[in-house]
Amino acid sequence: MARDAILAEELTYHYGELVAVDRISFNVAEGEILGFLGPNGAGKTTTVKMLTGQLKPKAGKATLLGMDIARNVEKVQGEIGVCFEEINLYEQMSAVENLRLFARLFNIRQFDAEAMLRRVGLAGREKDRVETYSKGMKQRLMVARSLVNRPRVLFLDEPTAGLDPASSEAIRSIILEERERGATVFLTTHDMMEADKLSDRVAFMNQGKIVALDTPHNLKQQYGKRALKAKVTTESGELEEREVTLDTPETPSAVQKLFAQNKVVTVHSEEATLEDIFIKITGRGLTE
Amino acid sequence: MSLKRVRILLGKEFLHGPKNYIFIFSIVAPIIISLFFSLIFGTLFSEKAKLGVVDEGSSQLVPMAQELDSLVTREYGTVSEMKQAVETGAVDIGIVLPSGFDSSVMQGERIEITAYVWGESLAKNRTIIGVTIADLVRELTGQEAPIEMESITLGDGESIPWNDRLLPFIVLMAVFLGGLMLPATSVVNEKEKNTLEALVITPTTIGDVFLSKGILGFILSLFMGILILVLNQAFGTEPLLLTMVLALGAVMAVELGMILGALVKDFTTLFAVWKFGGILLFAPVFVYLFPQIPEWIGRIFPTYYLIQPIVELSQQGGSWPDIAINVFILIGLDLILIAVVMLTLRRVKQYAT
Repeated sequence: MARDAILAEELTYHYGELVAVDRISFNVAEGEILGFLGPNGAGKTTTVKMLTGQLKPKAGKATLLGMDIARNVEKVQGEIGVCFEEINLYEQMSAVENLRLFARLFNIRQFDAEAMLRRVGLAGREKDRVETYSKGMKQRLMVARSLVNRPRVLFLDEPTAGLDPASSEAIRSIILEERERGATVFLTTHDMMEADKLSDRVAFMNQGKIVALDTPHNLKQQYGKRALKAKVTTESGELEEREVTLDTPETPSAVQKLFAQNKVVTVHSEEATLEDIFIKITGRGLTE
Repeated sequence: MSLKRVRILLGKEFLHGPKNYIFIFSIVAPIIISLFFSLIFGTLFSEKAKLGVVDEGSSQLVPMAQELDSLVTREYGTVSEMKQAVETGAVDIGIVLPSGFDSSVMQGERIEITAYVWGESLAKNRTIIGVTIADLVRELTGQEAPIEMESITLGDGESIPWNDRLLPFIVLMAVFLGGLMLPATSVVNEKEKNTLEALVITPTTIGDVFLSKGILGFILSLFMGILILVLNQAFGTEPLLLTMVLALGAVMAVELGMILGALVKDFTTLFAVWKFGGILLFAPVFVYLFPQIPEWIGRIFPTYYLIQPIVELSQQGGSWPDIAINVFILIGLDLILIAVVMLTLRRVKQYAT
């Protein structure tokens, strides 16, 4: 059984009277990708800041790779990589200079910046000033920077937000490669499709609390409904839509009846998205 | 805190700091202003200090003075001729050496000499002449000069040369632009671009980041302070002491820059604070610009304890005893500010990220 890379117990943070994170407890196993989902202001960023040693919890405790984060900030930060949502590169420096600076701060002597840049698809532009890069290129460089120390735990905050499909796909591939390498990935995102595709488990956060935490499949099973949607031709020749709810005891007979009584033109299955489930649980959407 | 990481960050600052317009401004502005004032007040290419002498006997002091490169010595036949030369500024100071001057000083007799001083002569010229006369007498007699000099100012005695009055302002600007504004703007820039967050998420601490910026600010501040004094030919007779005072001033500037950088979140606020805070920092300068303002008003402001020793050493020919108290106060202020910096950084660590 995999050990916990991250373990949060009753983790709490408040800004004055405002409770940003309200006694949350969860774990992330080594090598797992956890999608951390929630609308703006849900407390995701504050949670990440506590897990990365930027904020000291007001109550509760968090450990990373067995180390109490609040007491071992420097050691913890040597084991993690963080990719922020906002671009925060040294734009007057080149990509190579950016990566080498951070490698040196991590005390890494043998670092092949060019190879890392090839990996994120920035070969050929490595010596150009970052200010000349497109947003997608900058984001890929941000991901590259978060990997310079071969982190055991990787925190990614909206790594594909606002990117073109090719850049997004490139970053998703890197995330999966990192998981293959054995890294744990803590993925904060608004993109439900991305979370569904990449995450082993997802946590829904709302108003400072974790309101659901499970695999995407289990969440869909528990909160969503799957349905069979068919288009049938009526006696008058018009197209009509029929729906049969799946995963119920009545499903087999309902399907049989659908095909027996109608002329079925098209048929497809439909299942709830994570967004549907989030709305169902919290009563509000992710973008609210 | 890790010295290795401070060194790495300092390397980055040295490499990329000069691209910062504040860095360039910190170097260019004091030099341009200094040259501008020098041109305006005609002291840029000022000649050597000029001494006028009426020798009523045949003192060896006159040929000895004439041999010196640092001084122009002109001999006059009568006191009235020399006084006229002083009044018109042909010489900075005129003295009358009575008959038997050499033998009297060699016998250790106390002699009174009247020095006629051109009211608009530069303080540094007065200092140079005063120190030179004392040195020459010591050389002549092999002992401390047993002479008492009474000064009589001729011409516009109230008028302290503007170049002398403006020197504290230019020196303070040189020290504080580099020392205060460079670290402050550099930190605020990192905050605005969120690169500070990227740095402190590595094992690098806030202290490492601030110290690296502070070191660059200190180097620039000290360099500019020395450069401005050199450009204004105001290094005086105690260059090491003056450098030490400048270094203490640079420390003060850097500390204030760190505090400002830590507390301020954006450039708009930083420059607003600089405008208001600048008045407080530069307030003691007005005491030197307008000597009719009582000196005690200057003592209220911390930068007075930097400016006073600099003026004393560079313009008044002062030495350690003349500045010791104020230097100790300056050291005390630096120590207090270090404590404030530490407290501020602790606060930044908790809230700024």
